Amino acid sequence: MRLKPSSGKLGWLFLLPLGFFILVFLLTPIVGTIQSSFYQDVAFLPKRFTGLSNYLVLFQDSAFRQAALFTLLFVGVSVPLECLIGLIFALVLQRSLPGKGMWRALVLIPWAIPATVSAKTFQLIFQYHDGLMNALLQGIGITNAPIHWLGGAPSAFFALVLADAWKTAPFAAILFLAGLASIPDDLHRQAKVDGAHFLRRFIHITLPLLKPVITVVLLFRIIDALRVFDLNYVLTGGGPGGATTSLSLLGYQRYLSGDFGLGAAVSVLLFLSAWLFTWLYLRQARSVEA
Amino acid sequence: MIKPARYWRKEEWQIGLLTALGAAFLLLFCLLPFAYMLAVAWAENHDFLSPQVDFRWTFANFREIAVPELHVPAYLANSLGIAGATALGATVFAGLAAFALTRLRVKGGRGILLAALALSMFPPISIAGYLFRMMAELGWINTYPALILPYIAWILPLCLWFLAGFFQGIPRELDKAAWVDGCTPWQLLRHILLPLARPGLLSAALLAFIFAYNEFLFALLLTVDAHSRTLPVGIAMFQGLHGEVPWGSLMAASVLAVLPVVLLALVFQKQIVGGLTRGAVKG
Amino acid sequence: MRIELKRVTKIHASRGRKVHAVDGVDLVIEPGELLVLLGPSGCGKSTLLEILAGLESPTSGTILFDGEIAADAEKKLFTGPKERGVAMVFQSYALYPHLTVAENIGFPLRVAGAREPALGEAVREAASAVQIENLLTARPSELSGGQRQRVAIARALVRKPSLFLMDEPLSNLDARLRLATRAKIKALQRNLGVTTVYVTHDQQEAMALGDRVAILNQGRIEQLGTPAEIFDNPATAFAARFAGHPPMNLLRVEAQENAEGPGWQGPVLALPGTTWFVPGRPPRGSTALLGIRPEHVSFVPAHTPGAIPAKVAASEKFGRDQLVHVEIGEITLSALVTGQAPAIGDSVGLILNPNRMKIYPDDGEVG
Repeated sequence: MRLKPSSGKLGWLFLLPLGFFILVFLLTPIVGTIQSSFYQDVAFLPKRFTGLSNYLVLFQDSAFRQAALFTLLFVGVSVPLECLIGLIFALVLQRSLPGKGMWRALVLIPWAIPATVSAKTFQLIFQYHDGLMNALLQGIGITNAPIHWLGGAPSAFFALVLADAWKTAPFAAILFLAGLASIPDDLHRQAKVDGAHFLRRFIHITLPLLKPVITVVLLFRIIDALRVFDLNYVLTGGGPGGATTSLSLLGYQRYLSGDFGLGAAVSVLLFLSAWLFTWLYLRQARSVEA
Repeated sequence: MIKPARYWRKEEWQIGLLTALGAAFLLLFCLLPFAYMLAVAWAENHDFLSPQVDFRWTFANFREIAVPELHVPAYLANSLGIAGATALGATVFAGLAAFALTRLRVKGGRGILLAALALSMFPPISIAGYLFRMMAELGWINTYPALILPYIAWILPLCLWFLAGFFQGIPRELDKAAWVDGCTPWQLLRHILLPLARPGLLSAALLAFIFAYNEFLFALLLTVDAHSRTLPVGIAMFQGLHGEVPWGSLMAASVLAVLPVVLLALVFQKQIVGGLTRGAVKG
Repeated sequence: MRIELKRVTKIHASRGRKVHAVDGVDLVIEPGELLVLLGPSGCGKSTLLEILAGLESPTSGTILFDGEIAADAEKKLFTGPKERGVAMVFQSYALYPHLTVAENIGFPLRVAGAREPALGEAVREAASAVQIENLLTARPSELSGGQRQRVAIARALVRKPSLFLMDEPLSNLDARLRLATRAKIKALQRNLGVTTVYVTHDQQEAMALGDRVAILNQGRIEQLGTPAEIFDNPATAFAARFAGHPPMNLLRVEAQENAEGPGWQGPVLALPGTTWFVPGRPPRGSTALLGIRPEHVSFVPAHTPGAIPAKVAASEKFGRDQLVHVEIGEITLSALVTGQAPAIGDSVGLILNPNRMKIYPDDGEVG
């Protein structure tokens, strides 16, 4: 005869590695960063507490404002685009196409490859001299002269959005596919019996039932798009003239220049904005489960 | 109101047309950039789209990047090693934690899961600076652990979330039956739960591998040279042997870089899709 | 194996409130008997089964297996299922989906350290006891419900347990298979002579299978006895609802202090809306439940003195008999009639056999 096995204690043992990693490599850094943001923390200079002065400097910095504007614009344009394309893909994938697995694998390829590789490829595509994009446009006859994509702010923005959409629409597509699969067939059949055209069925049945999934995907993509770094570092380098510098890239640049305090301040602001949407995401995702 | 048969046939035709268009769009969208990359990698001249230049097949680009001075093989080895270690560590630690949270009575389990999910949404930049100084102090800059450990920490919450959901899907009655049959918790894990959890563990490992393999920001900051530099960084900084941007060999290096992950995506697409869906939507 | 439960209680905290899943149960289970725990869902029978199994520990009370303490809440002693020699068949059978039938059956022995060839021998023996020798290499997903159930039983028996527990094992089978399997389980238990506790909510099953039946209500045993005892003498209205098919009629009657009838005076229990009454007082309160089985209700012509006037509302075939539902104002009653039954819409008179009437305290439920 013995006491009941105290499984509670064993449980904490199993949680130890997880706790260690998160504490040391996630929580401590974020706390340290937040702390740094309140100091003048520049390489080779003595550290001293300066309160909110880093933040004030940022708000007066035109580079920061430009980066914030770009980031918001980027999120506002690319996320809806990705979700739209993703939805289209999901609708296509939902039909039984010949070689079903192959189509799904096809859609996964953009998602699976490193962002820097796709960024380099798109850099090539948007090349002024005989890049794919210019060749296509001129070949089809949309434009006569080649466009200097990466030389102008709006065109560079467009190039970034397209490259990002290429990489992330698959993720949206896969989630939408799961959402579509969860809509009971009976509803469609009933609507067909009632004589509804498929477009009406889509608008009145599919979309409303898909709304929770759409919201989850939107929020997830927003949080992800806010932290964009790889793409614009490689594709545009943040140019021309800082026009496509995201907040993450700006923070990186500040760190690189040795100003840890400023870099930390940028990081904290970005972190807070991501958390706002994270909180929204959690709320929405839990009601999806219900 | 019964619609005549030809109404439905017409609708089927319309849907078919739209699907075909959509499929064509999907095909073009996903493949074109990828195909372009492949074409340039095997082309003698990268600007073969220009009317003056022809497209000629060659393996020269690949031969060029195999040269040790360009470090491409070293980058590949680093990427594979770091990603593999991350996948292993993340899966094991997340698996243990998920087991504890779902099977052993740990208080506050749900709170821990939600907190983990929230942690996975950090922007990487917000801990990058601190990590750099931490690694510098430890003398770990430009080493494997400098990347593996943060990677594991970063992907653990997502893996935990996913595996916890997966474990919950295994009926509790199996635990009870095993206990009645005389199992200790370790025997339960080894004989029953682990075999049943294998598909989920595979998905988690795949997600962790792909994440670590593709990661850029930390790798950029925390590595200095080919000793531990990974492929994403190597590609971003690619200079070629002669100075100007050598698109041919750059694309050849890219092909090499994407080979492992594309293969994984093709072979394990079912597990990956399952992992993504469960990981994100299940909230 | 003789099992004693002494004042066993299990309290759950559910949403801030304490729920007594099992409430002060005293029970002795005789060696070799098949005891059925009968009750509606939520009455605590499954919890009690898990406490017997050693999957749950009691909040208070003691459990003795052949005189040895299996669990004692006050002394903080507890043994698991393995030490108690308990085997269990779950409602969903809980077969390990990734193992073959043979591996499933042999699992308890393997966990205990058994190896070939003794392991294979024991598995074959258990499999043949339930006639699934030909399925040993199949996976659970390939089997039918009935086959899976037999695998579960074989797995439970392979350890030669001292206590055999079954949690609603027949509820997932279709009706025809249920009857056949019921008989087989009874025969198997008789053959092996292993003490068995069987949980169900189906009272026909309970009455057919059990050597004794314990009716549970909200964690407490309402009645314990042989099927015959419970049938003849349900102890409470709750038990009365559970015993017998068709179920006993339970009519609400009111106390009236003074009534006059031929030859006497005194307190009576009267059926509201009629002039009918029976002498007596309610055991508690001002109303009571009068129990009478449909077999003990007879029909007489409508205006026979002493009969309750009623109207036939519905009629259904019941085996070889007819179950007739009559209405007395708002009250409905069933009568079991052999042979010719009155037609729907007829006015009839009812005679209730006075020797077969039971009076219960009113528990507030409809009859």
